[in-house]
Amino acid sequence: MSESFYLFSDGELKRKDNVLRMTAPDGNFKDIKVNMTRDIYLFGEVSLNTKTLNYAGQLSLPIHIFNYYGFYTGSFYPKETNVSGNLLVEQVNHYTNEEQRLIIAKEFIEAASYNILRNLRYYNERERDLESSISEIKGLRNEIKRTSDIHSLMGVEGSIRKVYYNCWTSIINQEVDFEKRVKRPPDNMVNTLISFVNSLVYTSCLTEIYVTQLNPTISYLHSPGERRFSLSLDISEIFKPLISDRIIFSVLNRNMITEKDFERDSNYYYLKDGGRKKVLKEYDECLNRTIKHKELGRNVSYRHLIRLECYKLIKHLIGDKKYEGFKIWW
Amino acid sequence: MKGLKFGGDMYVVLIYDIEVDDNGAKASRNIFKICKKYLTHVQKSVFEGDITPALLQQLKLELNKHIRENRDSVIIFKSREERWMQKEFWGKEDDKTSNFF
Repeated sequence: MSESFYLFSDGELKRKDNVLRMTAPDGNFKDIKVNMTRDIYLFGEVSLNTKTLNYAGQLSLPIHIFNYYGFYTGSFYPKETNVSGNLLVEQVNHYTNEEQRLIIAKEFIEAASYNILRNLRYYNERERDLESSISEIKGLRNEIKRTSDIHSLMGVEGSIRKVYYNCWTSIINQEVDFEKRVKRPPDNMVNTLISFVNSLVYTSCLTEIYVTQLNPTISYLHSPGERRFSLSLDISEIFKPLISDRIIFSVLNRNMITEKDFERDSNYYYLKDGGRKKVLKEYDECLNRTIKHKELGRNVSYRHLIRLECYKLIKHLIGDKKYEGFKIWW
Repeated sequence: MKGLKFGGDMYVVLIYDIEVDDNGAKASRNIFKICKKYLTHVQKSVFEGDITPALLQQLKLELNKHIRENRDSVIIFKSREERWMQKEFWGKEDDKTSNFF
């Protein structure tokens, strides 16, 4: 199994002996076994040169970069090698045809909200009394089918999320002042965690999309804006309840992460290095966790589920098999 | 390359012994550099890590160019998964195989 490398240290990332070597200012170094690496995450202040990038490009190795505050700033996305003109045409066709676009977008929301319900049901069975929110979301889910355009679909999605986020204070054991989702900049512990872990899911989806023939800029639910890989946002929508939300509940409820792991800086509320590491460790473990796949009959990791999602989407686009979003089945 | 990177896995420990003679230094250097691309360097001539059967085969092909028959030897210990291999440290413990740095 290939690995993701998470580099927190400051220093230099260089090509050395046909591997990438990260050298810290104190001279300590880590060699990254390039042939077994899926992607690299940079959190520290790292200098690298074009030689490094060229080598990473040659190895088809995406590098994801985060700023001082732990916010995702971007990726070095190597030249696409797995390209398919046919698929691209189909991808665009399904986007421009409003009806077909809606079919895919609905499937994303359908699956995402199902997974959200799954999370709520889990905590409802653990005496959190979320019954009313659950039925509210169930009601809202019925409206998904009835929506006739992306705009109203997004509206339904927004309402579902609002009900969902309202449950968080009762799910989380710690005292948190989480009222609503605030981005740019997140204003409290929970929002900061959501932003951070969601950006990780986004990068993982991007890495997986990169291996497939899909073009990451053409999306269905989110508008394919400029300057971002919005297909990654679409796909991460489905996996956020399974991956990020569960990680956030678990690190907070086990008191692994507390207010002490955060720092306030003018208008930013951000995770300190130690906290970031703890969350990332959880994240890495989570993606490597495996479950028995019903249809495939073998064990697959959570990360692989993301890839399978891309494949299912491809099958749908080329008219092989109707796309059905991933739903937690265990 | 890219297609081979993912999928089925096993955990291996690779150790090598290179005869120190005229060409020994060169062989040793090359073998070291090749192993580094696939596995984590844990001790002088010991590497370990997750790998796929296909990539292990590729590693073997690369190494075969440098291993001198009757002189050098490379041993691979294979295990199905890392958790089925009990690893103990006697003396200094280190986490060279960690993917955090």
